[in-house]
Amino acid sequence: MSESDVFAALANPTRRELLRLLRDGGQQPVQRLADHFDMRRPSLSEHLKVLKEAGLVTERPVGRQRLYALRPEPLREVADWLSPYEAYWRGRLGALRDVLDELDDE
Amino acid sequence: MSERGTIRVDQFLPHPPAKVWRALTDPDLIARWLMQTDFVPVVGHRFTFRTDPRPGFDGIVRCEVLDLDPQRLLRWSWRGGSLDTVVTWTLLAEGRGTRLFLEHSGFDPDDPLQQRTYALLDGGWRSHVWRRLTKVLDAPPS
Repeated sequence: MSESDVFAALANPTRRELLRLLRDGGQQPVQRLADHFDMRRPSLSEHLKVLKEAGLVTERPVGRQRLYALRPEPLREVADWLSPYEAYWRGRLGALRDVLDELDDE
Repeated sequence: MSERGTIRVDQFLPHPPAKVWRALTDPDLIARWLMQTDFVPVVGHRFTFRTDPRPGFDGIVRCEVLDLDPQRLLRWSWRGGSLDTVVTWTLLAEGRGTRLFLEHSGFDPDDPLQQRTYALLDGGWRSHVWRRLTKVLDAPPS
């Protein structure tokens, strides 16, 4: 699992919707997830596979069903990457550099 | 973030530490790269940074000089919006210039993280990210 796998997994609206359903509804079987979508089961299974490979969901067989659950850890890494204050300070340091470049040496 | 709750950023500046120190401590210069301020380089001095208010943030960052070692280290508290944090600047001579380290610590690692995770899942994340990134380059997040 790499960071790019996580970003690729999140770049699809169906997969984001799947994550949202798992976040709000807890772990659930694939059929209950499928009820929310107007697509064939195999397509949905393909999306779940991508999420699983990115480490964003776990799959657990219970009886004849497979239960899917959200695994939020990779999202934490993405959130860290998005840390708004880090971007803010990088921007400010760039501005500081500009000020220094315009400033006379003393 | 290299550890939860702390942000570390560093940058090489092709200017000597004395000059970088000026830009970090002269309020007129600070205003040009950060925000309007009544900063005075004296430990214990209380000062503010001021920017435009936004929902949840009155536009005022309340600070106090916590530590100061000319041309080496500057530390101030940073309280604004829901934040109660500490900003530390460290200067290190490097070649003909200065490497400037910034450490911003004291973030609540759980609460805002949770909010960002939710925001990420709810939005079209690409446009959301861009909006956020471009916005924060001009104003401090609250």
